[in-house]
Amino acid sequence: MSEMKQDVILSVKDLVVKFNLRGQVLTAIRGISMDLHKGESLAIVGESGSGKSVFCKTFMGLLDNNGWVDSGSIEYAGQDLATFKKEKEWLHIRGKKIAMVFQDPMTSLNPLKPVGKQIQEAFTLHNKVSAAEAKKRTLELLADVGIPEPERRYKQYPHEFSGGMRQRVVIAIAMACVPEILICDEPTTALDVTIQAQILELLKALQRKYGLTIIYITHDLGVVANVADRIAVMYAGDIVEIGSCDEVFYDPKHPYTWALLSSLPQLGVKGEDLYSIQGTPPNLFHEIHGDAFAPRNPRALKVDFVARPPYFEVSPTHKARTWLLDPRSPSVEPPEHIKNIRNIRKLKKEDAVNEQITR
Amino acid sequence: MITMFLVLSIVFMLMRLLPVDTYFGGRSDSMSDTVKDNILKQLGLFDPWYVQLGNFWKNLLFHGDLGESIVIQQGVKCVDLIIPKAKWSFQFGAIAMVFQMLIGYSMGVLMARWKGKFFDSLGNLYILLINALPAAVYFLFIQLYLSKVLHLPMFFEPYNTASRILPIICLSLGGIASNAMWMRRYMVDQMNLDYIRLARAKGMTSSQVAFRHVMRNAFIPMAQSLPTTLLFTISGSLYVESLFSIPGMGGLLITSIQRQDNTMVQAMVLLYSAISVVGLLLGDIMMMVCDPRISLVKKGGSR
Repeated sequence: MSEMKQDVILSVKDLVVKFNLRGQVLTAIRGISMDLHKGESLAIVGESGSGKSVFCKTFMGLLDNNGWVDSGSIEYAGQDLATFKKEKEWLHIRGKKIAMVFQDPMTSLNPLKPVGKQIQEAFTLHNKVSAAEAKKRTLELLADVGIPEPERRYKQYPHEFSGGMRQRVVIAIAMACVPEILICDEPTTALDVTIQAQILELLKALQRKYGLTIIYITHDLGVVANVADRIAVMYAGDIVEIGSCDEVFYDPKHPYTWALLSSLPQLGVKGEDLYSIQGTPPNLFHEIHGDAFAPRNPRALKVDFVARPPYFEVSPTHKARTWLLDPRSPSVEPPEHIKNIRNIRKLKKEDAVNEQITR
Repeated sequence: MITMFLVLSIVFMLMRLLPVDTYFGGRSDSMSDTVKDNILKQLGLFDPWYVQLGNFWKNLLFHGDLGESIVIQQGVKCVDLIIPKAKWSFQFGAIAMVFQMLIGYSMGVLMARWKGKFFDSLGNLYILLINALPAAVYFLFIQLYLSKVLHLPMFFEPYNTASRILPIICLSLGGIASNAMWMRRYMVDQMNLDYIRLARAKGMTSSQVAFRHVMRNAFIPMAQSLPTTLLFTISGSLYVESLFSIPGMGGLLITSIQRQDNTMVQAMVLLYSAISVVGLLLGDIMMMVCDPRISLVKKGGSR
């Protein structure tokens, strides 16, 4: 356990983020605690509005003006980021230690500046170097993110780049100062499928090369399966389940994770309607009692409507916020689909064993 | 070019439809019909329309001649009448425009930078006042009271530089308000775009973002109209010029039309249409210079 502690690069405790919207206060993040381990890829999944982007923006102080960290702490490199108020305090974190790749490469570059300059700018902001040196570094970066002919591309404008190439530029900007943590906010959502794979490969390669810690924010479980070491499932501003990729995919414990996985088209049975989650996410303007997912959960227990479940540990790496894991609760069977996934996993394991035997 | 040709020919033809009385400089009562016919013949008005039009274009293109004024200053070439007046108007207009841009744009930038704060409200109040009050009110106020407070001359005197200050202030006020308004508006638009979030995520301060990224991008939509605005300053301001008795272009077109000085009208329509066309062309070129996405040269797909 003590070894694990050393690995923690960023530690979030009881984080509460609120927004002021037209005079009403909305609680977007409802007390999240989470550790980020050095060198891992963590995927944060959840439906739109579950707060995954907002959660990560707090690491960089990029919340919109009407939002604020209400309580809790974000510990990073001996500092509590949650206490940062002034822009000045953030400047040595943003871009230098923690960087971000945004969703839509078509709009996230300044259309009137040559891409080279935009990358160089990110570099020179944090490093006092001569213009020639900065340019050299920029050309290296362009080559690093797989843009051919960096010399020529350096002078070009964003509109001369395709979507995939632009996303590479955005990644180059994020990588300019070789940050410790890279937050990728739906990095592939705006790209077509073949390009998606290339960009994910690129991110993986960069991670190996520089020992990055990457947070992927996504609702694409395909992306997650491809890249993530760990998965955090978010619902209504809270992480309801967190565990290694295998644990969450093949042995999910929270009813929301069950529902999410059941609605994957890949798991559907031909001829049957695809599973969809009934109801709508809770209104975050109101205080939420009990388990936020209970009203949509056909297997909800009585206690789910009254008391908020704590985290129950399934394994040292796997925990979930559901009363189902309480020893006192009745045993509730997961839906058929989920059992199927477990079987798939068993088969896979047997395959692996068989393979070893045949060898 | 084609636009100018059409505009001018149409105006020329329309003016041929007017009664001929005006060509006698207001002395038609005392002239016999033979004298009148002679004058008209001299002016070539008995020729068929296409000959008249041909002559008009020939004189204009080969001799730069727009004819003589008939009523306003009989016998003086239109060009000689217009140029000195235009010079005055342009001088005042151009100086005022420099102020409009300097003060207006910086005001807009500052307002956008501190949007919703005190300075923004102050700027909005100014813009609102300038737009809501009839210009006549504050022009008069400036002429009557500011001249007393600042001990400046109330009227324009060509050899007294101090007498130019008040008219330039009057000319600038409106432009400052609209420049500030548009600059603020475009900057606020730009600030909500994704690339600004990326710039902030790089670790730039809000001021760095505003000056390095937002300002130029916000300026582009306004760049196109700049040349036209500059060129049209030569048309002067009717109100300011008459208020301060500046010998500018202010009311010249209106007077020419009222007094049916046909050649003057032709000359001024030519001038203004030329300004519009050239201004638009320069505006397009300016856009091309500012915005790399725009190219006047035909190219294949932009991607």
